[in-house]
Amino acid sequence: MAGLTQALPVAGPRRIELQTVLCTVVLAVVALCVVFPLVLVALQSLQVAPPGQPARYGLDGWRAALGEPGLRGALTNTFTVTFVRQLLSLPLAVLVAWLLARTDLPGRGWIEFAFWAAFFLPPFTVTLSWILLLDPEYGLVNTWLAKLPFAGGRPFNIYSFWGIVWVHIITGSLTVKVILLTPAFRNMNASFEEASCVAGASGLRTALRITVPVMAPAILSVLLLGTMVSLQTFEVEQVLGLPFRFFVFSTTIYDLLVTRVPRYDAATALSVLILAAMLPLVFAQQWLTRGRRYTTVTGQFQRRVHALGRWRAPAMLLALGLVLVVLGVPVIFALLGTFMKLFGFFHIPDPWTLGNWTTVLGDEQFLRSLHNTLVLAVSTAVVTIVVHSLIAYIIVRTRYAGRRLLDFVSWLPFTVPGIILGLALLWLFLGVGFLRPLYGTTALLVIAGVIAGMPLGVQIIKSGLMQLGGELEEASRIAGASWWATYRRIVLRLMTPTLLAVGMITFVGAARNIGNFALLTTSANRPLSMLQLDYVAQRKFEEAVVVACIIMFVSLAGALVARLLGLRGGNVG
Amino acid sequence: MGAEPGTSDTVLALDGVTKLFGHAAAVDGVSLSIRRGEVFTLLDPSGCGKTTTLRLVAGLERPDAGEITLRDRVVASASRRVFVAPNRRNLGMVFQSYAVWPHMTVFENVAYPLELRGMKRAQVRDKVTRVLELVGLAGTEARPGTLLSGGQMQRLALCRALVYEPDLLLLDEPFSNLDAKLREQMRVEVKLLQRRLGITVLFVTHDQVEALSLSDRIAVMHQGRVEQVGPPRCLYEEPASAFVRDFLGQTVILHGRVCRLPSGHASSVVAVELNGALAGRTLSGRAAPSVVLAPGGAAHLAIRPEDIEVAPHDPPRQETNWLPGVIESLSFVGDRYEARVALGGEYRVVLFIPRGREWREGERLQLGFPPEMVSVWPA
Repeated sequence: MAGLTQALPVAGPRRIELQTVLCTVVLAVVALCVVFPLVLVALQSLQVAPPGQPARYGLDGWRAALGEPGLRGALTNTFTVTFVRQLLSLPLAVLVAWLLARTDLPGRGWIEFAFWAAFFLPPFTVTLSWILLLDPEYGLVNTWLAKLPFAGGRPFNIYSFWGIVWVHIITGSLTVKVILLTPAFRNMNASFEEASCVAGASGLRTALRITVPVMAPAILSVLLLGTMVSLQTFEVEQVLGLPFRFFVFSTTIYDLLVTRVPRYDAATALSVLILAAMLPLVFAQQWLTRGRRYTTVTGQFQRRVHALGRWRAPAMLLALGLVLVVLGVPVIFALLGTFMKLFGFFHIPDPWTLGNWTTVLGDEQFLRSLHNTLVLAVSTAVVTIVVHSLIAYIIVRTRYAGRRLLDFVSWLPFTVPGIILGLALLWLFLGVGFLRPLYGTTALLVIAGVIAGMPLGVQIIKSGLMQLGGELEEASRIAGASWWATYRRIVLRLMTPTLLAVGMITFVGAARNIGNFALLTTSANRPLSMLQLDYVAQRKFEEAVVVACIIMFVSLAGALVARLLGLRGGNVG
Repeated sequence: MGAEPGTSDTVLALDGVTKLFGHAAAVDGVSLSIRRGEVFTLLDPSGCGKTTTLRLVAGLERPDAGEITLRDRVVASASRRVFVAPNRRNLGMVFQSYAVWPHMTVFENVAYPLELRGMKRAQVRDKVTRVLELVGLAGTEARPGTLLSGGQMQRLALCRALVYEPDLLLLDEPFSNLDAKLREQMRVEVKLLQRRLGITVLFVTHDQVEALSLSDRIAVMHQGRVEQVGPPRCLYEEPASAFVRDFLGQTVILHGRVCRLPSGHASSVVAVELNGALAGRTLSGRAAPSVVLAPGGAAHLAIRPEDIEVAPHDPPRQETNWLPGVIESLSFVGDRYEARVALGGEYRVVLFIPRGREWREGERLQLGFPPEMVSVWPA
């Protein structure tokens, strides 16, 4: 590594070298966990022999990925779904963020909090809730509409392209954009708009010619981040797409690997194609954050908001409607669903029961999975706090030559869809001899969780450290404290709330994660998140929704604790 | 239109304008009128009243009471529920942060207000080029506005505010983000530009040097109210309140008791018998404007230190209004001495002494307080 050989013109060369060695070790380990598995995936796509037989190289996998209608269709579906959901959610998110940050919308603090909480709802739970409303046969909305004289029967079908898009917009596309865009809009210098107003432009003109262009880099950046995040989950398509044979890349990879004869070559080739398609997004994102950023806060400025005037009521209605859709419906109907004798059948006589809860809570499978989840989530949180704070500290505080690279590598998992990261780790742990015993253990899932949570965790701790400023530490060093004493008594003390918040959201992330774990779980290490998916596969929706509900409440509680510890949308991304 | 009894010479009039933030009044019943072609400054050492007043004029805030008239047109009136949006007031404004739009080039920034006014392209190009030349920004048209230096950005903001020839130019602490040297230079440039174009300027600052050097008239604000309005010299020499007196420049204050009031209108001289260590000595001065003094009442004598005369201890001055003192400390500051003179007891005066004669610490001297320079205030 470059850092090892570089002579730094600073006193105490031995110390510096020790630091450099340590930093390089961290960089190497992170790179091994993040980059190396992806390289293995790329190599594996050329290995065409079925598992268990001697390696043989060829292009069969690539031929399949590019030629087989099923696989090609999956790629097309992936791009169409992604494109449509971004296209629909972005203007809405910009409008909501603007309302929350730059107008006098009543209760905007609470509405922002609702979006924040909704961001933490597990997509799987949200999917089940909306099935209750939009199922083509017994969905409540359809049932109600069928009773109306003028509506043409049951118009909605959640098991459709638009059903998948709808659930995606609710579970990820909209909320993540709102919580990222709102602080960006809030930090914009109000003088930009005021100057335009005084110069003679109307409100609408100012919005179109000043506000949106000034915010364009932030909006574009959020669009890119949102697109990457949107590819992390696969449970929505797995639940809604399977019944009508609609596949996207992630469900296809899962299908290729868990059914009959696993086709590793095709699955890995498909993964490489998706990763290649992500590359332009990665570069565009990096370019945007490196380049000039418009929304910087200048000197002294006051936050001022627009008076909505007669638009107050419609804006309020829109915001509340969205909160109902992204937060209200999922929470209420997931809870309702757990008390149904037959999931979704509201019209049968006496539909309610407590039986699902007693069945699930007494199920040995459930108890084992609960145990797995607790061990998994707690370990992931602890490891995350240690590892991510170390990485963030190196990036922010040292002059280590490779810190930019470390920054980039630690952010990279953000761009790798969950199922592909799972596949890559599977390959690492099956392919590298001394790691093989870890396969099927919770430790493997912990590693996956730590890597998957790395972009967010490192980012949050980094911004915390930057806010802290170096002078507090320098003052401690000058007062006579050693580096370690300073770290322990100054940095850790001041960073405790941030670190706990990171631990909390990692705990939540590990408890609800499906995409990263789908390919890494066996019956021995299966956590709750995978158990609910297995229940659905067995058409046991009643049990699935109970588990989903438990995960949802764990998520909401964790999100709330993290919020109380000071985590906000602003320090994410 | 034209309903207001303002003369056409008045560009802007505020009448009892009040703005509340919560229960606190940031602007409290302010009435002002600004004449065509003058630089009018709102000077407020600390509060936010001055900027809020400016924002009320711009239409960026709505007044809670009072009326704002711009060129005989009422643009905001709380009682009559009139409010003209900022984009319909034809004002120019330079913001503290300049608010140079980052997604536009220098040219586009300046052209924007002209485009909004539906001007033809060729004419826009012509006008922008001319105004950029005026401030020495010619040649930077194609650069992104935010890549300019601080001083250039400020000139750009000025161009953008001037290019459409607004009725009134508003400057919101435009120099506060510049370093000291650049600030001085920009101050001179703005003054020259204003004289050349004959524009009317409403200027907001907390810096008294800026205010004194740039303004035709100044309104000193304190806690949301206007303390005094007048030309800079008048404010400095005849402050109407203790706040204005102490805020503008340095003041030496002596305490005493009024012993003789002016008899009739023959003379306006008030005699004050000092107390404390100077008991028995009497100084006289003018009564401060619009104050009521009672014989025997406690009073302050105030004088600017630069108005105090200095003479050697010997020979003793026979005229009144001279006090003996001792130089406690003396420092040479280049063009003059800075001296601290003890007059006895707690009375000390810090003043500058010219270099003409060599002074020493511990030396005795006499200080003269010319009666026309001394003002008397009730304590």
